[in-house]
Amino acid sequence: MSESAINFRQLQGANRRKTFLLLGAMGALVWAVVFAAMTYLGKSTTAIVPIAVGIALISVWGSYYFSDSLVMTMTGARIIEREDNPTLFNLVEEVCLASGLKLPKVAIVEDSAPNAFATGRNPEHAVIAFTTRILEIMDRDELQGVIAHEMSHVANRDTLVSAVAATTAGAIAILSDMLMRVMFFGGMGNRDDRENNQNPLAIVVSLVVLILAPIAAVLLKTAISRKRESLADATAVAFTRNPAGLRRALEKLQRDTTVVAQRSNAVAHIWIESPLDGKGVSKLFSSHPPLEERIAILRNMEANPL
Amino acid sequence: MKIAVLVIPLVLILLIWVVVSYNSLVRANISTDEAFAQIEVQLKRRADLIPNLVESVKGYAAHEKSTLDAVITARAKATSATGVAGVAAADGQLTTALRGLLAVAESYPDLKASTNFLALQEELSTTENKVAFARQFYNDSVRKLNQAVKTFPSSLFVGLAKVSARAFYEVENPADRDVPHIKF
Repeated sequence: MSESAINFRQLQGANRRKTFLLLGAMGALVWAVVFAAMTYLGKSTTAIVPIAVGIALISVWGSYYFSDSLVMTMTGARIIEREDNPTLFNLVEEVCLASGLKLPKVAIVEDSAPNAFATGRNPEHAVIAFTTRILEIMDRDELQGVIAHEMSHVANRDTLVSAVAATTAGAIAILSDMLMRVMFFGGMGNRDDRENNQNPLAIVVSLVVLILAPIAAVLLKTAISRKRESLADATAVAFTRNPAGLRRALEKLQRDTTVVAQRSNAVAHIWIESPLDGKGVSKLFSSHPPLEERIAILRNMEANPL
Repeated sequence: MKIAVLVIPLVLILLIWVVVSYNSLVRANISTDEAFAQIEVQLKRRADLIPNLVESVKGYAAHEKSTLDAVITARAKATSATGVAGVAAADGQLTTALRGLLAVAESYPDLKASTNFLALQEELSTTENKVAFARQFYNDSVRKLNQAVKTFPSSLFVGLAKVSARAFYEVENPADRDVPHIKF
């Protein structure tokens, strides 16, 4: 994040552009893997591409389309009504007015760690959930910031973005796995398909591409996730025009050392504060930017109002 | 033959472009209308809360007549105001009057402790926020609409779509606009 990008409009623009670049890089990676396969194994291997993409698409599409009910089950979230928490609903309605979005479903997760998430395939199916603890420790402005961050994920369609990223990363993983097997076990039979005088350098490069592509795909996927988190912070400020609320909320999350009980990898990326980021997790593999960085950017926005 | 192959796609592209530009202008215009309607909904909500608030304050601080009267007068003005500028001005006055009332309430511990007043406080603070956010959303919609109306090439279709630049919702006291957070 460049320090010169100060106001939320610039930050939103920068993070959107970076998402497109990263998704473009994902596409380029798919192309590189296919190219490597063709160099190494011959043109007939391209038949694997639609199979790999198909498998990835089928496996991700379900979890995207049914994300609301699936995530609710995995996290144990329970839908609540207005009577259960009028103040929370007041706050959600405020953010809806600020964003022009429809009122989402609101859910509660019984958990002693403060956290929150948003899910659902589109704004009509959006669910935003809060742990019981976050509702206890946040004041009105802080909770408004948290809600704005979650509603930003809804507005920016981050369930879709992460589904696209997961599909591409999945396709690359399946593709290179299949191609490696083909390589080791002697291939597709049609040896004549290979170009005759192959450049040995091209073969080595192809092999390296095939080996490294899955890791690169995971790195790109987490980078996209981090950009979407930064974008959600910037969009939240666009909604509330109050960076201090979200900043104080993140500071409270930073001081809190508890993590949500569900430490499932599958849903880690959707929480406002990642439940997985321990000391050992490298920043490159993390689904969220470090809290210190997010707080610093919000502070910068406080100092430079639009 | 060859000319047709060249011209037909060009005409099609041109047509699609006209339709898209026209629709986006009309859509921006409609969402601005909706945004303004939302401000009025929230202002109405606030106006509905006031009699209740005035009553509960009266019970403890009946002699603060001037402050109470100011709120009642401002409310009457706000409910009868029309047009963006008129509504905005009346809204600004009512916000100021309400702030005065709540400041007065500060010096009556019995009033502050009453459950009725506490419930009203939450209602009032969320309504103030909602009014502020509805204003902000309206102004953002106007900003987008005016940008489309005034910039090329969408400005070419302004006449066709029968839209024009709109006025921002300006509350009299500019400080009111960026203070959606009431502290009691």
